[in-house]
Amino acid sequence: MTLKEPVLRVENLTKAYGKKVVLQDASLTVNKRELKILIGPSGGGKSTLLQCINFLVTPDRGRVWLDGQEILISRKRELYEYRQKVGMIFQDFNLFDHLTALENVEIGLLKVRKMKKAESRDKAMHELDRVGLKDHVRKYPAQLSGGQKQRVSIARALAMDPKVMLLDEPTSALDPELISEVLAVIKNLRENGMTMIMSTHHIGFAREVADEIVFLEDGNILEVGSSDKIFTRAECERTREFCSKIVELYGN
Amino acid sequence: MEELFFIKNDVMPVLIRGLIVSIQLIIPSALCGLLIGVFIGVLRVFGSVVTRRLADTYVMIFRGFPLIVQLFIWYFGLPHLGIYLSPYAASVVAFSLCSGAYHSEYIRGALLSIKRGQLMAAQALGFSKVKMVFSIVLPQAIRRALPGCGNEVIYLIKYSSLAYMVTCIELTGKGHTIASETFKFTEIFIIVGIIYLFLTTLASWLLRYCENRVRIPGFEHHAV
Amino acid sequence: MTESFIAIYDALPYLLKGSLVTIGLVIGAMLLGLCLGTVLAIGQVYGNTFTKRLVGIYVWFFRGVPLLVLLFLFYFGLFPYLNINLSAFTVAAMVLGLISASYQSQIFRGAILSLPVGQLKAARAIGMSETKSIAFIILPQAFRLSVPGWSNEYSIVLKDSAVAYALGVMEVMARAHFVASRTYEHLPLYFAAGVIFLILTYLGTKGLRILEEKVRIPGYSR
Repeated sequence: MTLKEPVLRVENLTKAYGKKVVLQDASLTVNKRELKILIGPSGGGKSTLLQCINFLVTPDRGRVWLDGQEILISRKRELYEYRQKVGMIFQDFNLFDHLTALENVEIGLLKVRKMKKAESRDKAMHELDRVGLKDHVRKYPAQLSGGQKQRVSIARALAMDPKVMLLDEPTSALDPELISEVLAVIKNLRENGMTMIMSTHHIGFAREVADEIVFLEDGNILEVGSSDKIFTRAECERTREFCSKIVELYGN
Repeated sequence: MEELFFIKNDVMPVLIRGLIVSIQLIIPSALCGLLIGVFIGVLRVFGSVVTRRLADTYVMIFRGFPLIVQLFIWYFGLPHLGIYLSPYAASVVAFSLCSGAYHSEYIRGALLSIKRGQLMAAQALGFSKVKMVFSIVLPQAIRRALPGCGNEVIYLIKYSSLAYMVTCIELTGKGHTIASETFKFTEIFIIVGIIYLFLTTLASWLLRYCENRVRIPGFEHHAV
Repeated sequence: MTESFIAIYDALPYLLKGSLVTIGLVIGAMLLGLCLGTVLAIGQVYGNTFTKRLVGIYVWFFRGVPLLVLLFLFYFGLFPYLNINLSAFTVAAMVLGLISASYQSQIFRGAILSLPVGQLKAARAIGMSETKSIAFIILPQAFRLSVPGWSNEYSIVLKDSAVAYALGVMEVMARAHFVASRTYEHLPLYFAAGVIFLILTYLGTKGLRILEEKVRIPGYSR
């Protein structure tokens, strides 16, 4: 049994757009080397939760701690430093269109961490190699497949040496045959001990690798538990409904 | 034969003097216009509601009034307020402000075309707003704005001829002067036309060269 | 200050009559530009290499030489040389039209080229001649697509019409200058002239937007 060491903790994150409440009092803790997976219907708040964690979306209420230190968004410099330690992977990749794959990974190192050119290049090459894209480093995003683009974005986030990775439905925009290459990289990350929170529709994958599953619907965390528990002995009615529908659709 | 002689000795030197004045009008106006355009364009996209309203009003007026009206306002109108600008100064001011309004349209379009997701990715990596604008937004926006702004400069080359209307004697003005003296309107203005044609063609080539130099594969297709 | 307003108020009827001249110039120029521009566009898209070259040269010339120079060239040079006696208004409208044709031809060309290749193929397949295909299938669609570009061209021609002042055409700008030289109220009068142009621009683009809605093909998205 591994000793639980909380890396990231969030409490009561709430966000509403006008009258519509998209996230309601979401709280969770992620321990070191843990992979927490968020599941639930679309529009349930998974994306909002992840984007509130790194403050891309400013929550109306709630608090965030990284390694025991609270993050206050009023302190801009601390916020930027915090974001370097929390990597984010987007559903739409969001690579910088005007830069090659290598430059995409480098730019954070050069401009944000202010590393030297040679150092940045080496590190960027290393990360791209880790995700299996050594031969594509000079290509522009428009010349890469979806799976390759997502792997570049993973390399870009990894280059910042984050403590936690947030993955917002990383494979939802990919053609089916490209999904496995990205999932393989994510599995690899996990094996190497990266702490991650990921939202996904791939229930099979979630079952296989998640340390803990969080079920969100209509902005509320309805249930939290091990993958075993959620899929077979879920406490909440809605969770059971959702899981059975998914199993129906996607098989196992 | 006599005609060609006449052209070489009497006409060309005068026209060249006019051409020099034209270039002295065009270059500062183009540079100022671009700077104003970038400034106003950025305000129109990233500014507060009030700033945006002001910038939009500026653009509406300076794109809505004909350039010749604007020239007359600066040269003939300002004396009303006690400000006396030389024909050259009035022309440069008018060209810069008018051109700037058009440039801001292209800059604004380019800035808006940058996909929001890239800004999110930059922020997620820890970029500050300023760094984000310089490293991610501007490199892409400049490429997108280049054709529009480049064409605007070519327009400026042509419209610089209007400076003659406020007594700034540039190429067209010199042409009219000689033509009035010699009554050789057709010949003189054909030559003047050819000189402008040469300038605009050169500028077009330069623009196309720049566009090709900064081309990124697949970049145009992503334009929203 | 009050003299300024009085000056504008007195001059207004005179200025507004000038706007009729302006509108006349613009309509003449836009129509010439439309007809000639369509011919040029068709020549550039469907013509042989020679025609394409010719159109290319025309476009290059009329987009490269300043309006003012062309006005002087035609009014003081070419027409007297050819012993043709035309009013300043006619020459101005003609030159504006020739220039507009070069820009409009590119608008139409772009619109035609953006149509799927299949359109022409289908027309030929049902037995239409090249001319009929272009006239009944290609052009109607191309024109609809061109309305935004045409609207933009309108506002450009409108503002360029003020340069006709240089030939002595008594449109809005010329009249403003005429009154200003007499009353010395330059600033308010030119400002008023500018506002008249703004209003004409607004009315014109509004009208064209209504036209765009009227001719819109349901469900057609580009």
